Amino acid sequence: MKTVDILRFAATALVQHRRRTLLSLIGVVIGVVAVVSLTALGEGARRYVTDQFASLGSSLLIVMPGKNETTGGFPGVMGAPNDLTLEDVKAVQRHIPQVLRAVPIALSTADVAHLERGRQVMVIGTTPDFRRVRDLRMLAGRFLPAGDWERGAPVVVIGRKVARELFGQANAVGEPIRVGGWRMRVLGVLAGQGTQMGLNMDEVVLVPVATGLRMANRTSLSRAILEVHSVADMEAVKRRVIDVVIERHDEEDVTVITQEAVLSSLSSILQVLTLVVAGIAAISLTVAGIGIMNVMLVSVSERTSEVGLLKALGATRRQILLIFLLEAVLLSTAGGAIGLALGWAVVELGTALYPAVPASPPAWAVGAVIGVSFGTGTLFGVLPAWRAARLDPVSALQGR
Amino acid sequence: MIHLEDVWRTYRMGDEELHALREVTEEIRDGEHVAIMGPSGSGKSTLLNIIGCLDRPTRGRYRLDGREVASLDPDELAEVRLHRIGFIFQSFHLVPRLSALDNVELPLIFAGMPPAERRKRGEEALDAVGLMPWAGHRPSELSGGQKQRVAIARATIMGPGLLLADEPTGNLDSRSGHQVLEMLSQLNANGKTLLVVTHDPSVARRADRVVVLRDGQIVRRVEGRSVSDLATLFAEDVPAP
Ligand SMILES: Nc1ncnc2c1ncn2[C@@H]1O[C@H](COP(=O)(O)OP(=O)(O)OP(=O)(O)O)[C@@H](O)[C@H]1O
Ligand SMILES: [Mg+2]
Repeated sequence: MKTVDILRFAATALVQHRRRTLLSLIGVVIGVVAVVSLTALGEGARRYVTDQFASLGSSLLIVMPGKNETTGGFPGVMGAPNDLTLEDVKAVQRHIPQVLRAVPIALSTADVAHLERGRQVMVIGTTPDFRRVRDLRMLAGRFLPAGDWERGAPVVVIGRKVARELFGQANAVGEPIRVGGWRMRVLGVLAGQGTQMGLNMDEVVLVPVATGLRMANRTSLSRAILEVHSVADMEAVKRRVIDVVIERHDEEDVTVITQEAVLSSLSSILQVLTLVVAGIAAISLTVAGIGIMNVMLVSVSERTSEVGLLKALGATRRQILLIFLLEAVLLSTAGGAIGLALGWAVVELGTALYPAVPASPPAWAVGAVIGVSFGTGTLFGVLPAWRAARLDPVSALQGR
Repeated sequence: MIHLEDVWRTYRMGDEELHALREVTEEIRDGEHVAIMGPSGSGKSTLLNIIGCLDRPTRGRYRLDGREVASLDPDELAEVRLHRIGFIFQSFHLVPRLSALDNVELPLIFAGMPPAERRKRGEEALDAVGLMPWAGHRPSELSGGQKQRVAIARATIMGPGLLLADEPTGNLDSRSGHQVLEMLSQLNANGKTLLVVTHDPSVARRADRVVVLRDGQIVRRVEGRSVSDLATLFAEDVPAP
């Protein structure tokens, strides 16, 4: 018996019971659409975030105070870190020629106010090179002035949103504002940048690094960003940075991470998210599979006398098994195909509405859907088909 | 050649044993036309199912063409049913969603015949029962007599030597019943062994000989043409020869 002939025979049974076929198809379709669109969303989120990071260039090293033992996580979270001082950063720049720029960063939060208006913002104490490594553009005025790192001038560059909230449409450059308890003069306003490395640059204020340290009332920097000449030097520079710090501190009390490492750990977190979402969607496919099994069990019991007839006509057990198995597989693969098309349409619609998120189902998800819907039919079709194949021909002919 | 030797078929109903057949010993030669008669529940269908390899004796031996049927595995039994035996049922047993032609072709599918050859053979078989004009019709669009003729075309398409008909005219009016019987007689005349289970004396009269069952036992064997009415045939006082 040729498989095509069995397929044709199975198809006639599905066509005859249109409503039942349709209902179980819908189950599979919903499951598949869920898998396709949810994984596309997860993948879109992952790509969105990693694209954001990748746009910052891959030649950056980040030095953080404190040594974390387990690699791969986010350092600085556990333990009390030793100081990472401005002197340390200077020493790194001085001793390592491959370091193009070394940018100290002191983070704190403070209230900013102008006249009656105020809000809390993140304050970034840093140097003019910050603008280069972060590729910041100015809307108005100037960026932080060059000069001695130790000199804490009372000047500030503010994010676009901060400017809007404090000054409305009015000009901000040259105006005095209060940051924390400090009176400062606005040097410039950043152009819209959006979120970079988890910081919304529209909602920060930037001050000279010495000012930032004094405002935070600390001696230790939050971190330093090193721009390296060439990506090939990254690992070597990373080791040299640690050497320099050990020489100065007598112990290895900083963590140096590459942009790449941050990116890949973030990416893997988001990948887990996609997998979780896929898992949830897979459950709905399983439910659809159970639906198929029910339909097939009903189909077998309704067609008991047909099975008896086929046996009387000389069909083997294997042939009868195949008839019902292919019926189930046909059902689930058709559902898979329709679901794939529909899911694709949903994703297309989504990306048309939200172009920022590059949602597209990962290839593995599409492959898995095809495999799983085929497998669902096989898995959940086996039991009913096996039942049909094992029927006693005499009782089956009598419809029992 | 059919050889039944002390065949029993016993159903176990809880603690009770029900003998649908007991001590059945019979020999049916190739080309014979035999009618099986008996009151309802006497074991006629059971006997036919055993001969047709759909059922197995609980006890006793059954040899078909010299082969011990008990020794055959399920696949070999399917093979025997496919090539050696054609079934015709009282309720036709056509697959409702398939056309007349597709129904006739079913055994050829199980035999693995390629579609083009299958179509040709199917059309020939349907033509032989005079139903070529109805080839594309579903069973629901056919009369009872037409359905049974489709079933005959299907039963004979593999060229089996043995035809088993369980009350083939039970659901037919006398005219189409007659037509079906003529067809079966013709097939028998062309050399096929024919076993017909029937309640109808006029059907039995066509047979070479008649086997009468009661309570699972053969109680009488008579010549077909001597059959008159059921009362004499089923009368209890006559011992089995
Ligand atoms: N699966 C079964 N389980 C239990 N008893 C059965 C089964 N099949 C048949 N029988 C019994 O076996 C006996 C013979 O049944 P069978 O169908 O052969 O009779 P029959 O002569 O064909 O009757 P009818 O003329 O009504 O078709 C009956 O008493 C029936 O109840
Ligand atoms: Mg019967």
